Amino acid sequence: MAPLDSHLQDFETNRADNDYHPTTTHRPSYPKQFTLYSRPLIDSARNEWQLRAAADSQRASSSSADDIKSPGWSQMALSVVSAPRFRHVLIYVALFLFAFIGWRMLVSPRLQEQKSLLHSLDPTSETETGGWFGTNSNPQFDGLIQIRTLDPNLVPGNIAGVVSGKSSRKRLIIVGDVHGCKDELVQLLEKVSFNQAGGDHLIFVGDMINKGPNSPGVVDLARQHSASGVRGNHEDRVLLLRHEMVNTETLATPDDDEDARFSSKELGERAVARSLSDEQAQWLENCSVILNVGQVPGMGQVVVVHAGLVPGIELEKQDPSSVMTMRTIDLDTHVPSPKKNGMNWAKMFDKHQSKLYSSLESSTEDPLAGTMTVVYGHDASRSLSIRTFTKGLDSGCVKGGKLTALVIEDGGKQSIVQVSCRGYIEE
Amino acid sequence: MKLQYGMRSAVTRVLWLYGFLLATTISGVCGDTEPNFMSVRKNVTKEYKSERAIPKEKYFHESEFNHHYDGRYANGSLPDTKVIPYLSDLIQTYFTTMNAIGAETWIMHGTLLAWWWNQKVFPWDDDLDVQISEATIHFLADYYNMTEHHFDLPNVDGGRTYMLEINPHYVVKSERDTLNKIDARWIDMSSGLFIDITAVRKDEAKRLNGHPEALMCKDKHHYEESDIFPLRDSLFEGVPVKIPYAYTYLLEEEYGPKALTRTSFYGHIFNEQTKIWESAVRKFKRSLRRGSRGNNLPMNTPTLTPAHIDEA
Repeated sequence: MAPLDSHLQDFETNRADNDYHPTTTHRPSYPKQFTLYSRPLIDSARNEWQLRAAADSQRASSSSADDIKSPGWSQMALSVVSAPRFRHVLIYVALFLFAFIGWRMLVSPRLQEQKSLLHSLDPTSETETGGWFGTNSNPQFDGLIQIRTLDPNLVPGNIAGVVSGKSSRKRLIIVGDVHGCKDELVQLLEKVSFNQAGGDHLIFVGDMINKGPNSPGVVDLARQHSASGVRGNHEDRVLLLRHEMVNTETLATPDDDEDARFSSKELGERAVARSLSDEQAQWLENCSVILNVGQVPGMGQVVVVHAGLVPGIELEKQDPSSVMTMRTIDLDTHVPSPKKNGMNWAKMFDKHQSKLYSSLESSTEDPLAGTMTVVYGHDASRSLSIRTFTKGLDSGCVKGGKLTALVIEDGGKQSIVQVSCRGYIEE
Repeated sequence: MKLQYGMRSAVTRVLWLYGFLLATTISGVCGDTEPNFMSVRKNVTKEYKSERAIPKEKYFHESEFNHHYDGRYANGSLPDTKVIPYLSDLIQTYFTTMNAIGAETWIMHGTLLAWWWNQKVFPWDDDLDVQISEATIHFLADYYNMTEHHFDLPNVDGGRTYMLEINPHYVVKSERDTLNKIDARWIDMSSGLFIDITAVRKDEAKRLNGHPEALMCKDKHHYEESDIFPLRDSLFEGVPVKIPYAYTYLLEEEYGPKALTRTSFYGHIFNEQTKIWESAVRKFKRSLRRGSRGNNLPMNTPTLTPAHIDEA
């Protein structure tokens, strides 16, 4: 109780000071100037609330004991906290907590992740875990093209070549998941001043159709611009369903009981399958699972897929279903999964390529030429996700997000262009 | 026999089998009136109610000597070396028949895993698993139950006859019918080997609880509609088969990621160059025999204990 007592005594003296007029009456022998210094201004600043506190305590003398106590405790807490030494301690504790939480929540997981990624990509861990994904004999599927290579005439070249006039300007406009949002696609093409005759080539990362308002319109626009595209999971499903409907002769005239038989998701896909003409379906069918753009000066090899690639496996041997649906990857076995929880495949791929780049740096003149950059879509939950060697372009247009284009110019110069979308579905 | 298969192209072989099938199907209905799934589709695409009473007896029985054989058609197991060719014929004839009828069926479980590795039956396999849709089991029960299908097979004198038998308790949807998890069988009447056929049905209970795509089998496997449908077209043992849509995901969920990466299973090692499962035991024996002291070693391959892949 010692600090409280002394404090209360303080109160008393202050009150006494207040009751009588200061300076001259109390200590008349001191010169005016001196008194001023001996009574700091801060004392008078405290008077107002001290007066009120004093009045309160007088009033409180008749009421219950609890009422008297509470201001006393808060006063004590205030005085403890405002004590300079204690304040320092508080600051140190806060700093320590901040550093500790920062370490635990940010730095440590990052380091851990880097460590597990490096371990996962270490060739010696392959024998440890009994093998990595990709050793099987890849199955063949009807009507599914694994890989196509882009016409080299469409690929951007060296900046020096363009400047000297040896070659013409070229750009690749790679567009994220459109999902039938034709209006937004038109706006985006306007924003990047798309000019096919001027050396621009349009590429889609898949999921051009389904969910949104105008799937056939998007396909028509793509065909009109002689665009390239890869097969996304939505193209895959709709095309498989369309084949089935052609075989069962239900494409033109649906069965009466379809509403009862199929889930709302499948009914939507069947409606899109019916809305596509044979030519539009054929164009989509010609989109491969993997589009190899080839070497882009200043970037290295560029590959477009819908969802992702497993690092360290040749393009021909990538599992097509996984390429169209993966989000995460198992650190031990490198088995990809469409699940959202786990190691992001893109992080692992980027790390794999960074390692490759640093190993090539010492041995080759152009280490970038030995690396691979993947442009993909599919993962709207991670939105726009740009890393050195992976470029995720799905920014959730159909849900009211943005439609994104990655523009690759001569010399490998890259830029991101986006337009806002109206939002056609809720999720 | 394997060699002869190898020499023929898959396509001609399929056409060839198909021809024989059409010529020799002994079904209850003959000639032009033979039902095709498409011709009767309207009758079978309805909602299916489940019988309430749980059956007390088991319909399909396995033989006493080996639960992979049907005791009505065999007195003993096949020699080890013959099992795989017999299984291969089973799956080929099954899919050829179902493709001809137009019945919706696809491979699943261990057979899907075998397909994933090299589109062939595992050399240590002793059974095969396929699934059919609810509409298909009703269709097969109505029109093809107890039909025999004769196939002339290369190097098989007189060919073989296969029977499609439907478990009459297929109308009971409940998982509590634990005695009748298998809805139908495709039986090789010459050896007693068979394919287990299970129907995939709408899981009404789960659907009422906010899972609009829930599917179930009586063997307690549960799926989402979009993981199985739309089916994909691929080849297995050289014949066109259907594959569930999200095959990699389904395999990973059922057997874990290591089932897709481990190259050593049950005394076999996957040769990454030839993409063939080779017997590690035989290789080991051969190297021993070549050694100076290994001349008198017994030759027969020790039986490999079959265990569920899950536990591996």
